[in-house]
Amino acid sequence: MSNDIPSSVLRTTAFPCVRCGLTVAAFAPDGRRRNHCPRCLYSQHVRDQVEGGPSECRSGMSPIAIAVLRNGDWELIHNCTRCGELTSNPICGDDNQFILMRMAVRPLAQPPFPLETFGDL
Amino acid sequence: MPRRKPQRRRPQRRKDVLHGPGGERGDAFRCTSCRLDVPLTAPGTAHRNHCPHCLTSLHVDGRIPGDRRETCRGRMAAVGVTARHDGEWLLIHHCLACGKLSANRIAGDDNALALLRLAMRPLAAYPPFNAQLAL
Repeated sequence: MSNDIPSSVLRTTAFPCVRCGLTVAAFAPDGRRRNHCPRCLYSQHVRDQVEGGPSECRSGMSPIAIAVLRNGDWELIHNCTRCGELTSNPICGDDNQFILMRMAVRPLAQPPFPLETFGDL
Repeated sequence: MPRRKPQRRRPQRRKDVLHGPGGERGDAFRCTSCRLDVPLTAPGTAHRNHCPHCLTSLHVDGRIPGDRRETCRGRMAAVGVTARHDGEWLLIHHCLACGKLSANRIAGDDNALALLRLAMRPLAAYPPFNAQLAL
């Protein structure tokens, strides 16, 4: 973050969501910079994760999974809809909890093996 | 008092368990985490890249799966499970050395208990919000 931009300007910067068009403030209420829309949780592919630096893809990134850190915090895994790259970002306090819970239980709704045998363990 | 110069240690011998382009034992790889010898043929998938016992992978591929362009070679731990639209489960791996993420389909002989523990992890850990409000 450059020093020549006053913090009041940074606090009011916003970006439009690539999917639902919601104007999203670039900073969450807890002061952290956010990269995804709190309503539909979509992100935009602006950074190249393999080689670093900016990416020219700039298409939408759909949330696909939730990873749990060692301290119990949830991280959102995004998948680029065009080139398939994956990124991870911590969730914010005002993220859509309905979509978060839906992502957390979606693998369990379509198990590749019968779950009845685990009841005996 | 004689000065003790630390002796140079003999370099470690190259192990022949890596299935590299040299052609050594190209039909199996050894898991970096639990040291299980894993055959490359797996039921249900032609692209096995993780250990069926502990689900750990190795960071050897660059942008394209199977290109072996990556020089990191760090251990990749499974951090999450996602389901495709057709119901196929994908494992999300996270490189412990450089932090890159990758996805791979599960195989037919993957440890079902480890998979289920991974899928239950977001729900088992206390959710960072009040989950009853979401329902």
